[in-house]
Order: sequence, then C-alpha cells, then structure tokens
Amino acid sequence: MPEFDIDFTVNGRPVSRRIDPSLRLLDLLREGLALTGAKEGCGAGECGTCSVFIDGKLVKSCLMPAAKAQGASIETVEGLARPGELTPVQKAFHRTGASQCGYCIPGMVMAATSALRENPDAGLEELKERMGGNICRCTGYTKIIEAVEIARDVVAGKLPQTALDPEGVGASWIGHNTARLDAPSKVSGRLAYAGDMVMPGMLHMQVLRSPHAHARIVRIDTSEAEALPGVACVVTADDVPGEDGFGVFVHDQPVMARGKVRHVGEAVAAVAAESVRIAREALKLIRVEYEELPGLYDPEDALKPGAPVIHDYCPDNVVKHIPVRKGDIEAGFAAADVIIEDEFATQQVEHAYLEPEAGLAYVDHDDVVTVISPSQNITHHRHMLADILARPINKVRFIMSPVGGGFGGKEDMIYQGMLALAALKTHRPIRLIFTREESIACSAKRHPSRTRYRMGLTNDGRITAIEFSLLADGGAYGMSSEGVMRKAAILSCGPYEVDNLKVDTKVVYTNNTPSGAFRTFGGMQAQFATESMMDIAAERLGLDPFEIRRRNMMRAGSLTHTQQKLNSAAIDRVLDAAEASSGWEPGAPTVRGSTRGDLAGPGTRQPCTLGARFATAGADIETVKVAS
Amino acid sequence: MLTCDTYLMPTRLGEALHAWSEAPAGSRLVAGATDILPYAREGRGGDVHLPTMIDLSRVAELQGYEVRGNRVRLGANVVYQQFLEDPTLVRLLPNMPSCAVWFADDQIRQQATLVGNLVNASPAGDGLPPVLTLNGEIELARLESGQIATRTMPVADFITGPGRTELRDGEIATAVTVDAMEGYGGSFQKVGMRRSLVISAVCCAALVKTDPSGRIFEDVRLALGGIGPRPIRLYDIEDMLRGQEMTRELVARASLLPADRVASRSRVAYRRAVVSGFIEAAIEDALVALGAPKPTPEQREALHA
Ligand SMILES: Cc1cc2nc3c(=O)[nH]c(=O)nc-3n(C[C@H](O)[C@H](O)[C@H](O)COP(=O)(O)OP(=O)(O)OC[C@H]3O[C@@H](n4cnc5c(N)ncnc54)[C@H](O)[C@@H]3O)c2cc1C
Repeated sequence: MPEFDIDFTVNGRPVSRRIDPSLRLLDLLREGLALTGAKEGCGAGECGTCSVFIDGKLVKSCLMPAAKAQGASIETVEGLARPGELTPVQKAFHRTGASQCGYCIPGMVMAATSALRENPDAGLEELKERMGGNICRCTGYTKIIEAVEIARDVVAGKLPQTALDPEGVGASWIGHNTARLDAPSKVSGRLAYAGDMVMPGMLHMQVLRSPHAHARIVRIDTSEAEALPGVACVVTADDVPGEDGFGVFVHDQPVMARGKVRHVGEAVAAVAAESVRIAREALKLIRVEYEELPGLYDPEDALKPGAPVIHDYCPDNVVKHIPVRKGDIEAGFAAADVIIEDEFATQQVEHAYLEPEAGLAYVDHDDVVTVISPSQNITHHRHMLADILARPINKVRFIMSPVGGGFGGKEDMIYQGMLALAALKTHRPIRLIFTREESIACSAKRHPSRTRYRMGLTNDGRITAIEFSLLADGGAYGMSSEGVMRKAAILSCGPYEVDNLKVDTKVVYTNNTPSGAFRTFGGMQAQFATESMMDIAAERLGLDPFEIRRRNMMRAGSLTHTQQKLNSAAIDRVLDAAEASSGWEPGAPTVRGSTRGDLAGPGTRQPCTLGARFATAGADIETVKVAS
Repeated sequence: MLTCDTYLMPTRLGEALHAWSEAPAGSRLVAGATDILPYAREGRGGDVHLPTMIDLSRVAELQGYEVRGNRVRLGANVVYQQFLEDPTLVRLLPNMPSCAVWFADDQIRQQATLVGNLVNASPAGDGLPPVLTLNGEIELARLESGQIATRTMPVADFITGPGRTELRDGEIATAVTVDAMEGYGGSFQKVGMRRSLVISAVCCAALVKTDPSGRIFEDVRLALGGIGPRPIRLYDIEDMLRGQEMTRELVARASLLPADRVASRSRVAYRRAVVSGFIEAAIEDALVALGAPKPTPEQREALHA
C-alpha cells in the first residue's frame, strides 16, 4: 500500500498520519478520524453534504485528495461549537425546522456558516447564491434560508437572542411549530446514518452488477476473486439457504440474480473484503458468462402476443390490473353534451434522497443475523429475510437507522439480503454503501405511465362519465407496483363525484429499472391526467377552472369512486384557499387575453439570476446611450 | 474510484518538471482535481489508477498573478473564485466575474483553476470563451538539458478539439497571459440543464467599450463555447460593430449571424436558437455593466417582431 505522511490540524487539534494517498479528504475525515458529520451524498462535487473549511475556505471534501490537507487547518461541522453547544446558525436551523431527514444538514450548516463569515450582511439573493452548491431534497430550501436569515440578524443584533429559541407550544401541539427532538443531533452532525457506523473487524462490500437488461446467466466463476488476498468471501444466489424472493406484494425478486438478469444494474455477485479498494479489485476478477435474451423496454410491447416473458410465473407480463366500475358509462356518455378525449404520459423519476443506500450487518453471539439500514419497511423485511435465510424469525433482526431521505425509495430490500448472507458466511460485520451512480441505477423509480382519458360533461360542466385507462411500466420486478396501481385507481378521477366511471390501471413487467413506491404512490400519475382534463374541459366549456371543479367536487354524503360514503370532504376549502392565495383572476381560460394580473405577483418566486454580489457594484449612473 | 501509487507535492517548478519527466506512463498532473476526481467514477472513467499524481498546487512559481503593462499574467494556480473576489482582477478582466459566478459553485471555485479548465479542453468549458476575448496566451514549461525552457502560444491554437491540446509530454502549463481590459464592460451568458453546478450547453463571453460620447462601439469582443469541438472568437461580428453607432437594431442584426457556425453533434437546432439570443444578451449586459439602461422585454420583442 502506498504511503504519504501528512500533518494538519482538525478543529484546532494537530493530527499526524501516514495515509494512503489515494484517499480523498472526505475519506480521511470519515474513516481515518471518525468525523462523520461530513457525508458522501454524490462523490462528485454536486451535492455539498461533504463541505468542510480548509484554511477558512469552504470546499467539497469529496473533490479533494487528502494530501492537499498537508499543513492546512481544517474545520468540520463537529468543530463549529463546543460539545453540547450549538452556534446561532445551528440553533436557527433547529428553530425553523430546517432539518428533516438531516442528511444534507451538516453540509448546509457549513455552507450557511461560510456565507455569513464571508459576508455577515448578505441579503437573501446572495445567501441563495452562496449556498447554491448544497442540495436539499426534503425542505424546498425555504426553512433553511429562513434559518440563515434569522441567524444573520441575531448575530447582527437586529433580532433578540430569543429569536433562536424553539417556539413554545401552548395547550395544543396542533397549530404550533413543534421543535424536532432530533434536530440538535442533525445540525451538529452527530446523528449516525448507516454509512457512518463502524464495527471492529468490519468488512466492506462491493457489488457486481449486470451490464445487460435481459440475459441468462450461463455461469459465474468467483474463484479468482475469492483467491485475492484481503477478500473474505464472495456471495451469489447460490448462497441463499432458504426460499429466495422478496417484494412488497409478490416475492418475485431474488437477493441476487438467480439464473438470469432482468435489468441493467441488477446485483449478480457481491464481494466482502478488508477494504473497499480490495473489494473493487475483486469484482474485476469475477467472470460471468451471459447469454443475452430479447428484452422489453416499452410497456405496450409487454402486452403484445408473443412478447418475451420476464418472469416464468407471469406469462402475460401483467403484474397487476385494478379495475374499478361504478354506474353505467354508456348511459353517462349518452347524457353528455361534450365528450373530451386525450392521452397523458409521465416519465420515470428518481427519488434522489441525499443518503445513498447503506447497511451494516453482523451475526451476534446468539446467532441473530442483524441488519442495520435505512429501510422504510423493517418489519416486512425481517419476515422476508427470515424465509430467505431459512431461519426462525427470532434469529433475524432489523434495526432501522436514520433515513437520510426515502420518499418511498427505501421500501425495497434490494441490498440487505446480500449483507446478511455475507455476515453469515464470514461471521464478521460487513458494510455496504452505494455510490450515487449505483443508487440511481439500481433503486426503484416512480412508475412511468400512459393514461387514455375520456370524459363526458354537460354544457354546465357536470361530469357525466369517465373512462380512464392507465398503463404503467413496472420494470423488472414487482416491488410496490400493486399498491401503486391500487392507489392510482382509487384516486383516478380525483376529488370529484362521478356517477359513471370505468377505471383500469395496469402495470406490466419490462426490462427497465424497477418502478416502486414514490411520494403519492400512483396518485400523481392519475391526478396529472384528471386535473389536466378539468382544465381542458373548462376551456372547452368557457368555465372558470375553479368553478368547474366546484360543480363536480365531492361533498359530505358523496360516494367515492369505490363507493364509500364520505362523512366529510375538504375540497371546497382547498379550492377557496388555492384561489385566494394564488391571486386568481376569475374567468374562463379563454376570456382573459394576453395580459393577466395573477402572474408574477407577491409570493411568486422570481427565477434565479446569479451575480447578486456584484449587481450592487454596478453604478446607477447612465454613461452609455443606446439608440433604439 | 481513483487510486495512485505515489502522490507528490513539489514546491518549485524545476522539481515539478523533473518529477513529471521521470513519472511512469499514465501519470497525471493535478491542480484542483475537480475534473480528475469526478472522472474516476462509474459511467465515466470508472476505476482509474494513476501511477504518480503530481500536485501542482504548492509550486511557488505558479501562484498568484502579475500585471505587466496592458497584460495580466495569471499563474496556473489562480482559481476561479479569485476572478470574483480579487478587486484588481475584477477591474482588469471585466467578463471573468460573470463567468466565475456561473461556474460550479463558491466551494468548487476555491479549488478549480482556470488553467485546469483550459487543459481539460471541454468544448463547453466556461473559461474558454472569455479567455479568447482576452487574447489569452498559454505559457508551457519543460526541461531542456536540465534547464527550464518555456514556449507560449495563443489559447485559441492550444486547444485543438474536445479534450485535445498542444500540450507535449513533459510540459506543464505555468500561466495564462491575457489583455488588461479596464474600462470595458464584460458579460457572460450560459445555459445548461439547470442554473447551479452545471456544465454549459452553450456559453458566450463579451467585452464592450464605447467611445467617450457613449454612443459608438469603440471595441467589441465576442466568443462562443459549446457550439462545436472548440470555442470560437466571432471576429466578423466584432468588425461589423466596431466604430458603429450603438443601436438596438444593429445589435439585433449582428446577433443573427453566428447561428450557422453551430457545429455540435447534438441539439443543433436548440443551440442555434440560443446562440443568437446570447450574442444580443451578451452585448446588452456588457453595456449595462457600463451603465446603459437594460432594455425592456417590450423593446426586445419589438426588435424581433
Ligand atoms: C460539480 C462540478 C461543477 C463544475 N462546473 C463547471 C462549470 O460550471 N464550468 C466549467 O467549465 N467546468 C466545471 N467543472 C469542471 C472543472 O471544475 C473545471 O474544468 C476546472 O476548471 C478544472 O480545474 P482543476 O484545477 O480542478 O483541474 P484538474 O482536475 O486538477 O485538472 C484538469 C486537467 O488539467 C490538467 N492540468 C491541470 N493543471 C495543469 C497544468 N498546470 N499544466 C498541465 N496540465 C494541467 C490535469 O492533468 C487534468 O488533465 C465542474 C466540475 C464539478 C465537479
């Protein structure tokens, strides 16, 4: 192993180390010095979870070779305040509720601290610009920016110290900004996510993934990889002792590809080794022979006669079909004055939580296999893993680590099984941290969908019938598809009372990246179609878009699409609030003309234009005259 | 993952050149590492092993900048943030602050060097068009019989294509020398997939000077990036504007010319549409930097009706 001697100070303390010069500063801080407040969200300088000060300047430590720290003074989030204390910035983040999943927060706190150190008087635009290198996926930034402004004003004496205190709650928690109990651990960088955890003797896992979308695995030869010094074991589907298969509804997914691969990025084999570097070298020594199979990449093709079959148990490729019927659509369309037809498509979307998937597994002294991971579904995972490992449930344990953003994307047990197998095979703790690229390539996505829509209405805007048919691309495995289709069907026609409807939602297997749970769980795809149809109908009928919705909205006593009688409904208040706060100008979409007063009003966020810092430097004096 | 056997941090140019000439094949010079580290990832270079990495950031001769008459010699270790924060550089290189503010973010700009950007020679590298407008020349040092020898060439000739330059084996780029443009208005236009932290699809740099009356273009310099294998200077449009009365109509007419120079392999129609808008906006913004009023959207629309 190459060596490099390095001396520097971290949070005021001198450090002297002999390191592998391949390390990045982030690795040295996290692995070498156990300073895990700096996180690795992307490893490519895009996200800012790894920001640290070096000689007073904020940098992204994932982009810096560790050797560059030679002789430097480094300050990490752990060094901002003394143990047990918080800086004004950290307190302000706590106060406004700026930390949600918390994974971006140490970096955000560092960026905010840097912005205010560079310019204690920075205005809103400048703060946004200076913090532009840090990404958050939970908050939408509003609370974060609000926190920085509060901290700035407290430090400047424009606001009292008490502005940093968490808001008190009165007699009720409801209607108050209740302080998050876990916020101090997040703003100080102390909260340990799975990837921050270490155990003595811990191994590191790396995963060999399929380059093919659909291929038969002819043979896997792991012997060379196993022979590499520093490798503890290699696991494949052959190591599964029990009934292999997991999934939220159908257990159609093996822990690692079994017999064939069904999407690019599917796990084929995994190596456990003394270091990530050795594990990666070992991956290159695994020989896999594939025989490529014809693949399916479009959900329409999956339904064609003679289409390739992705799963033997499912010869028609249909993962789930949810039909909903109510009333008589023939009669409904016959009663319509206008019938509108259209088609809507939505695309695949990545959750992009800032914490890539990570887990740590070990077998304890009582032979309990334990997996620590940010799983959004630990109880179900535990049951499935017990079957996969052929162990009684009391010998399988799941511990949910803090979830650094999930949004549905961490409901699937896509790596915990491999970790458990390797822990059982080696009896050593083992950790796997996905790279950002792996996370994007292998985790479930929002279902891409196509919806055919037919809506009948009377001239006064009452819906008489809806025919709704949605086809979703489920990708290679079932995951949450069934539930997503159910929700899409239940919510299909929106919060409107429709007497006659025929709704079909269908999800099929393809060789695309699997689709799974994602915020709204199918609701978004359906509502995009329905709400678009309402606007199109308003335009066709010359009605105000709010008005046409009010004429159709569900009320107390209405029957839902699945014929449940409602005791109460809130859509009337939602519409009133949306209309008031958007400053909506009443009228049909067609009558307003080209100028409208409800755009760019107060509360509208202007587009980002960088340069706030020197915009003020531009003189107001007009010296240049441009003739028009 | 990036791995190496040896990481060197020379402090003198001679030492660096010596190490570089001795380094095993496949070794690499490192400045800010903001191109090199992200390259060594899945989907790009994958796992990359470099026998020796020679870090130039501590080399004394490459630090700082020097004003020499009407030229500024920028040492190879000058990072982007300096163009935004150093008052002398802001004054003398008026389109570099706007280029810098659109470049990556405050943190990466503390590391990323202008020279690394030029040597990397991405067709969409943001530093390339402004350096062309500044008549930039790159200085290249090598060892010749143990002595440091240098040669200099225009940056326009140095960059020969995507990722390709005239840098020879054993050479280290030591500086970029550019025109000092005090009194010019500068601007930079950029569009990419998003606003922050993004590589340009198209970018455009401008420098404009007016005569003392404030009504005539005394000098105009324009360059485009992201429109082909390498950035280009728009001399014909500069000639068309120089010495003319500044009218919005003239600027609008000039902006239509460069669309046919888009020679990219992808998104050609999009880039063509963007280029015209960018020329006009770049000149306008440069004039605004000199104190001209910003045209209203209505004025713009009227011109293109
Ligand atoms: C998140 C992110 C955002 C980015 N945004 C932008 C952007 O907005 N615009 C843009 O143009 N680029 C952008 N980049 C790319 C990169 O930051 C720039 O190209 C930067 O200027 C490279 O400089 P560096 O000092 O980091 O170079 P390095 O990565 O250290 O080196 C780059 C190349 O130059 C060579 N080299 C460096 N110095 C010398 C020298 N003195 N002599 C000879 N060869 C040398 C190296 O060997 C290497 O081949 C971004 C990168 C990241 C990670």
